[in-house]
Amino acid sequence: MSGAIEATAGGRTDAPLRAHGLGRSYDGYIALGSFNLEVAAGELVALIGPNGAGKTTFLNLAAGLLDPTSGRVEIDGHVPGSIEARRALSYLPDTPVFYEDLSVAEHLEYVAALHEAKHPAARIDELISRLGLDGWEDALGAELSKGMKQKASIAFALVRPFKVLLADEPLDGLDPPSRETLFTLLAETQAAGAAIIVSTHRPDVIAAADRCVAIRDGRLAYDGTPDPAVLTEIFDRSELEGA
Amino acid sequence: MLAAGDPVAAMKAMRSARRRRYVARTDVMEVLYRVYLGALAAVFALAFLAGALHEVPADPASVDRIRADAPAIIGIAAAVLVLAGLRAGARGGPLAIEAAEVRYTLLAPVSRRTALRPAALAQLRTAVLLGALLGAIVGNFVFRRFPGGALEWIGSLAAFGALVPIAVLAGALVASGRRLRPPVAGALGLALVLWSALDLALGWSSSPATMLGDLATLPLQHGASAWLAVLGAALALALLAAGLLGIGGLGLEAARRRAQLVAEMRFSASVQDLRSVILLRRQLASEHPRRRPWLRLGGTRARGAARPIWWRDWQSFLHWPAVRVVRVVLIAVAAGGLAVGGFDLTPVLFALPGPLLFIAALDLIEPLAQESDHPTRRLLLPLTAAELIRHHLVAPMVAMAFVLAIATVAAAVAGGDPGLALGVGAVVFLPLAAVLICAAAVSATNDPYEFVLNPQLGQAVSLAPLVVVLIAAFLPLFVAWKVEGGNGARVGAVAGIDFVLLVFALIGLAALAFRFHKREGEAL
Repeated sequence: MSGAIEATAGGRTDAPLRAHGLGRSYDGYIALGSFNLEVAAGELVALIGPNGAGKTTFLNLAAGLLDPTSGRVEIDGHVPGSIEARRALSYLPDTPVFYEDLSVAEHLEYVAALHEAKHPAARIDELISRLGLDGWEDALGAELSKGMKQKASIAFALVRPFKVLLADEPLDGLDPPSRETLFTLLAETQAAGAAIIVSTHRPDVIAAADRCVAIRDGRLAYDGTPDPAVLTEIFDRSELEGA
Repeated sequence: MLAAGDPVAAMKAMRSARRRRYVARTDVMEVLYRVYLGALAAVFALAFLAGALHEVPADPASVDRIRADAPAIIGIAAAVLVLAGLRAGARGGPLAIEAAEVRYTLLAPVSRRTALRPAALAQLRTAVLLGALLGAIVGNFVFRRFPGGALEWIGSLAAFGALVPIAVLAGALVASGRRLRPPVAGALGLALVLWSALDLALGWSSSPATMLGDLATLPLQHGASAWLAVLGAALALALLAAGLLGIGGLGLEAARRRAQLVAEMRFSASVQDLRSVILLRRQLASEHPRRRPWLRLGGTRARGAARPIWWRDWQSFLHWPAVRVVRVVLIAVAAGGLAVGGFDLTPVLFALPGPLLFIAALDLIEPLAQESDHPTRRLLLPLTAAELIRHHLVAPMVAMAFVLAIATVAAAVAGGDPGLALGVGAVVFLPLAAVLICAAAVSATNDPYEFVLNPQLGQAVSLAPLVVVLIAAFLPLFVAWKVEGGNGARVGAVAGIDFVLLVFALIGLAALAFRFHKREGEAL
């Protein structure tokens, strides 16, 4: 089951994420410059690039956590930060964030309630079980290991309905079985019609993607099929993990 | 399970659950006991002060001068605070939201105004209560010298004390909600300050800040001025309403940055790590050193260790951003103004210049604080700890003396007796500069974990510099106020206090030498 897609029926557009001329600079330093991208419903895009290329900047702009200095981005036809965009977009950040006094289960209940998830109890139980969080439901964030924090953070992102999922290096800290689970969850989410962008350095994520978008120095360097041969021509081998 | 189908209800339920959990974890009896002890100590201190001061009624000329000028002067001070609020708002303040709150609640399809309002009101509640309490305390002393009853003064100053934080927080909320750029927010605040300055020059009460000044002196005001005080209060409340209505426009970028820095600051404050608090506050205010100094000093070709350190310290001051320069000058002017206020209104105000000037001293002691921040670099220098400290204190003391000279001139201009102000300033500014800089150095080089096994001692060490500067600035002003006779007698009596100040400075110097020597011994 993919509870994530409950709210995706009746979407306004085939490309729930559109960026046009999107840019962000800091005192003359261009973190992202004139970036164009459209991601279709049901599409899984691997966003790759060396450290500092602008991947997280793009994800933060799309999530409404940063304001663009040029261009625009639309989530399901709405400006990031608007109620509609917040309803349509789920963001899995690179660093898990917790309320220090809420347990994992309470976070899940809270996020599900905020986003009006249908049948939240069943979805919470399912995610806890599939992500191996059994027995950790009542743990506080400070009591979790790095990997468990990441699993909890994945559960927080997937417990609610959405049309667009932005995931910033979601496999970081996960053991191999958990990585497999995450791939399965992403595939289910994709099959249910969500647009997914995963920022990554990992070849296995790139291979699983429908499309690969590469950024270098804040500019679009590649947009096409995830062909390892093409990618190694663009990047140094050291810039792609395991390439 | 939280109720699905109503995100706002879910948010409220989560918050009340967290609040209940927090209360359950708190030892209520311990808190009540501390409040009881604090209140008891405050009551005794106030009763003692009220008895000790023996304030005499002000003469009619002083009353007339205060009635005419005080509203605009108080208005300028209030406008400066609103300017600070606007600047903080332009950088995402005044709210400090948890990172998780930004991540989950503010990114959820819930009205941000609804989500943020409780945090704003909680902050406002605390500030208003503290402001009103402080105002009432000052009112309790002021009524003894001026026409008007105790209730009138306590009431008007409590209302003023409550409305100033309202205006400051409201300005910050408007700036953050409307996402004003820092230069725009600064310009608006500056316009308000200049408006009150114009009121002072022309004898008007046209600025909203001056109207708040009318409220502070309400028992002295009649007719139109009394109504203007009411208008000032209404304008502050209207600004608050505008701020609360627009609060949802808060930029998440600034909110996230602020959340992280404030969390670190709270932790540093909880362990009395003043140095970290200062550094984090500078980051929060984006207060970075200038890339180019205001002025390039000559090289360090002079022989001996003193000259390079003297040069390095001045070079540090010359890299100050404009905002820090302005802040230190404003602190000096405010200290001078408060000294005058102590003479004209109530000597209780003499307690404020010391802590205020201490803030400037903490800025000036930056080069020595950096030596403490980087012990390895310090140990590589061909100097003993005592030499290093001694050399590093000279430039800050000279600069502090300059700041005190500004305060003296401000007091001479604002007060009715320039001769007395200049006389007191002349005999006290050098030893007081030494005390302030030594106290700031002790504070800025404090290791918050040195007394981790004896927290009471740690708190005493953290608080001692502040208490010392409070007394050091209070004493000369109080003596000048208390001694009867002409200006010569008063200035002469103040000169006697210099000995006490020098003892304070020497104690600070000894504490610093001991601290650095001990650390050096432990490191080698």
